[in-house]
Amino acid sequence: LPPPAHLCLLTLLLPLLSSAAPISPAESISQAYSLALYMQKNTSMLLQTYLQYQGSPFSDPGFSAPELQLSSLPPATAFFKTWRTLDDGERLSLAQGAFLALTQHLQLVRDDQSDLNPGSPILLAQLGTARLRAQGLLGNMATIMTALGLPMLPEEDTLGLVAFGASAFERKCRGYVVTREYGHWTDRAVRDLALLKAKYPA
Amino acid sequence: MALFVVFQTTFFLTLLSLRTYQSEVLAERLPLTPVSLKVSTNSIHQSLHLQWTVHNLPYHQELKMVFQIQISRIETSNVVWVGNYSTTVKWNQVLHWSWESELPLECATHFVRIKSVMDDASFPEPNFWSNWSSWEEVSVQDSLEKGILFVFPKDKLVEEGSNVTICYVSRNIQNNVSCYLEGKQIHGEQLDPHVTAFNLNSVPFIRNRGTNIYCEASQGNVSKGIEGIVLFVSKVLEEPKDFSCETQDFKTLHCTWDPGTDTALGWSKQPSQSYTLFESFSGEKKLCTHKNWCNWQITQDSQETYNFTLIAENYLRKRSVNILFNLTHRVYLMNPFNVDFENVNATNAIMTWKVHSMRNDFTCLCQIELHGEGKMMQYDVSIKVNGEYFLSELEPATEYMARVRCADASHFWKWSEWSGQNFTTLEAAPSEAPDVWRSVNSEPGNHTVTLFWKPLSKLHANGKILFYNVVVENLDKPSRSELRSIPAPANSTKLILDRCSYQICVTANNSVGASPASIIVISADPENKEVEEERIAGTDGGFSLSWKPQPGDVIGYVVDWCDHPQDVLQWKNVGPNTTSTVISTDAFRPGVRYDFRIYGLSTKRIACLLEKKTGYSQELAPSDNPHVLVDMLTSHSFTLSWKDYSTESQPGFIQGYHVYLKSKARQCHPRFQKAVLSDGSECCKYKIDNPEEKALIVDNLKPESSYEIFVTPFTSAGEGPNATFTKVTTPDEHSSMLIHILLPMVFCVLLIMIVCYLKSQWIKETCYPDIPDPYKSSILSLIKFKENPHLTIMNVSDCIPDAIEVVSKPEGTKIQILGTRKSLTETELTKPNYLYLLPTEKNHSGPGPCICFENFTYNQAASDSGFCGHVPVSPKAPPSMLGLMTSPENVLKALEKNYMNSLGEVPAGETSLNYVSQLASPMSGDKDSLPTNPVEPPYCSEYKMQMAVPLRLALPRPTENSSLSSITLLDPGEHYR
Repeated sequence: LPPPAHLCLLTLLLPLLSSAAPISPAESISQAYSLALYMQKNTSMLLQTYLQYQGSPFSDPGFSAPELQLSSLPPATAFFKTWRTLDDGERLSLAQGAFLALTQHLQLVRDDQSDLNPGSPILLAQLGTARLRAQGLLGNMATIMTALGLPMLPEEDTLGLVAFGASAFERKCRGYVVTREYGHWTDRAVRDLALLKAKYPA
Repeated sequence: MALFVVFQTTFFLTLLSLRTYQSEVLAERLPLTPVSLKVSTNSIHQSLHLQWTVHNLPYHQELKMVFQIQISRIETSNVVWVGNYSTTVKWNQVLHWSWESELPLECATHFVRIKSVMDDASFPEPNFWSNWSSWEEVSVQDSLEKGILFVFPKDKLVEEGSNVTICYVSRNIQNNVSCYLEGKQIHGEQLDPHVTAFNLNSVPFIRNRGTNIYCEASQGNVSKGIEGIVLFVSKVLEEPKDFSCETQDFKTLHCTWDPGTDTALGWSKQPSQSYTLFESFSGEKKLCTHKNWCNWQITQDSQETYNFTLIAENYLRKRSVNILFNLTHRVYLMNPFNVDFENVNATNAIMTWKVHSMRNDFTCLCQIELHGEGKMMQYDVSIKVNGEYFLSELEPATEYMARVRCADASHFWKWSEWSGQNFTTLEAAPSEAPDVWRSVNSEPGNHTVTLFWKPLSKLHANGKILFYNVVVENLDKPSRSELRSIPAPANSTKLILDRCSYQICVTANNSVGASPASIIVISADPENKEVEEERIAGTDGGFSLSWKPQPGDVIGYVVDWCDHPQDVLQWKNVGPNTTSTVISTDAFRPGVRYDFRIYGLSTKRIACLLEKKTGYSQELAPSDNPHVLVDMLTSHSFTLSWKDYSTESQPGFIQGYHVYLKSKARQCHPRFQKAVLSDGSECCKYKIDNPEEKALIVDNLKPESSYEIFVTPFTSAGEGPNATFTKVTTPDEHSSMLIHILLPMVFCVLLIMIVCYLKSQWIKETCYPDIPDPYKSSILSLIKFKENPHLTIMNVSDCIPDAIEVVSKPEGTKIQILGTRKSLTETELTKPNYLYLLPTEKNHSGPGPCICFENFTYNQAASDSGFCGHVPVSPKAPPSMLGLMTSPENVLKALEKNYMNSLGEVPAGETSLNYVSQLASPMSGDKDSLPTNPVEPPYCSEYKMQMAVPLRLALPRPTENSSLSSITLLDPGEHYR
């Protein structure tokens, strides 16, 4: 990550750290939107890096297994009408829940990979960065919800019971689903925040 | 007999029945069928774990038993394994036994049954197999979670090259399942509609992160799911190589080995192999933290012998190597110290060093290496603690490097590391005389001798040469010898000697002393012997020279030459019995001429020039072409010459010249041959074989033709460089002839002109004498003398030859004649022009005598008649109408006639008139155009021309052409001048 990107990230994460001063909804939405856009640029690279380290079939060109899902991770796809008619509270709660799950899953995948690919600092760094950004977006969303006066979601262990005995292949698949869904949820968050941004202009 | 037979039969039957009874009783007493068979599975090891008990065993008794176990797969009849398991069984003991399945247990239901037999000496024959236990079914499939596809075994760890069976379970038989190993499809054997097994033989090691094997379920082209496993293939653990232990201090044993391949796998499936050191005598064990070495602490001084086992171990295999040794035989000495040199002189030195003492009465074997001058010497020496070695036969003034290493002399194990030091020997006097040569330049009265010497080699210099001493001694006259000291690194000096014989001694000197002297004698006679130069050919290796031996005793020969381009004198000494040598040096350059002189050295050390040789190590093509002059150019020949071309300064011996001639003619001239140039064009070529023939007459040429010529020299290596052709054009054949004629003519004319100039007075007098001036005439004086004032000599300029006076006179009669054209004629003819031949008032300065010149162009008849009347010629007028006008009226009439073109008004008597008027009258050539183009006669009256027309010519033809001539005469444009 280049230094300017670090700085940028830092400023975006700033509201998370300094929650003393109340922030207007538009401002917080705008900040969250900027972070989501920034995240969007790196999600496909994370997925590609991840697949590259897993061997065939993951590293095969054009690999895609949409049927692979994780029960502990809510899917980002939704019917458009349903999604469009969500109210602010539902919309933000769904996204918040998903990114909460994603932060935990990204940590799990990073642990798995540090075991399997200890000699791949690039992948481990990217996974760590992705988790940090997901956490940053979570913080931004919490600020928006506060600003809009919406009730906060109770933080829960979305990962639930983890099958620690999962086989290596299952763990590879799990990592694939997590990195893929991270991208999908980031795309959805950009759309969600764009909607909110339009609704609460500065 | 029959009775006996019956008895016997009864006996046997009884015995048989008794026996049967006995066994039944035994079996009844010991029904040893295995009972309580329980089978469990271990997914990690893919093994079935059996446990059972044997009932009815005697209390507190151990019995040897054999159990036969049958394992079936999928169905009971499909027995895949049968085996015996022998063990001793105690009363009430639960027996355990495991079986590892090749096929993953999840992929098929397994059935197990067991039976037993007594195999104990305490139970004599007969022994019977028990009944089989009932089949025990083991099915792991039922425990599978939800899903459509499962692949087994998961995360199996195997060794490279082993055989592995994998299988998949597909819940939906509609699905088409394809399986791949690292992207390459594998084909298996269907065990049942849901299960397919794949036997992978000799699996390869691909990477330490494992090998992916995955199956994809699909219906049509729609992927239904993907499932796979990671097979962890480990490299085969190698036996440690080169395992050895040694000590430097009898406190620590340092053991090393080559570990071979690291068998660590990712996903924490298998760490790197571990190494353990085990010593059997002490029974101690140490887990090594490094993978290729381990230190073992020597604790007991008494232990001399060690038996080490190095065990390498990973999850799949254990390998070990063993060494047995005596500690004293594994001594690796520390490197020697305090290496020093004593009493160093020019050729000797004493080397000293110390070794670490191991114990009392310890002997070392040491090895010394001496490096110097690119050579290496090796010496071995046996010492105790302090080492010393006398190094002899060293070279003076040389830097040496000496190093030493030692080992235990009693039990050689290995050398220690080297310890070394540099030292330099002292200088000694140079051991050899310098190689000296000279060149002599004889001048009137003295010789200039330049001495050259070669620096001594390091081997002979024995130190740094500081200066050279040159001692010159006159051999003819007793005198003091002269000593010159020339500091190094000079390698020559110049001496000017008079015409005496001299002996010159040269020595090289360093800080210690002088070398032996090199002696040369310069004879009194100058070296002017004429020796012919011989050409030789060099080769890549150099010049091969040979010469005739000098008569008399010689102590040797010297060949000298000059290096180019440095111009440094080089020489080579040759032994007295040799008359040939090869001069080879890298300094020879191609295309440079080298001159060699061969001298014989007499016993008196006087050099005598024997032969001269010259040649090129490699001849090159000439570097430049001659500048060719073309002269004697004629229409049929010309001469080419290049006299100033130097053949000596060329990069090869010039053998001749090629003259190229290009012409438009297809055929070459005689003596010329056809040749093709490098650019492909054709031309004619003439070869001159004599390098000194530097001219050529090219003849048989055509006049007025263009020729191109090019002259290039050639050596054995080829021709000179390509250059442009010179154009020569032969002149015209006649032009030369003209020159031959014109030149004498011009000369003659000039001659005549000169003669004329010189005799101009005479010619003038002869050809054009002066016209006498009347004023200066003697007659004039005579007239003056008579004083007649009326008589003067007339000036030509004073005379006006004639003049015409024009008089206007109205003429009324003319109006009637004109008729309809009255108005015009009125204006035009109101002032008729009269012409008088009178002198004009202006020009007539005064009354004076006048000399009249007759105009002979007038017709004699007209002049004779005495009239000055002008009769114009009417174009239309027939000759018969032209008549002589005898009065001014006639003249006017004639004019009117002309102007008005009236008919039948010419007087009858005018037929003889043949006078053409001088007066030009304006008139129109065409009567029809007259009214539109009126003319003004008064202004047009002008003297134009006077001419006499002969009668026959004055009769114009009755055509319009005649009027044209009149128009020409009376051009209206002329009037207004």
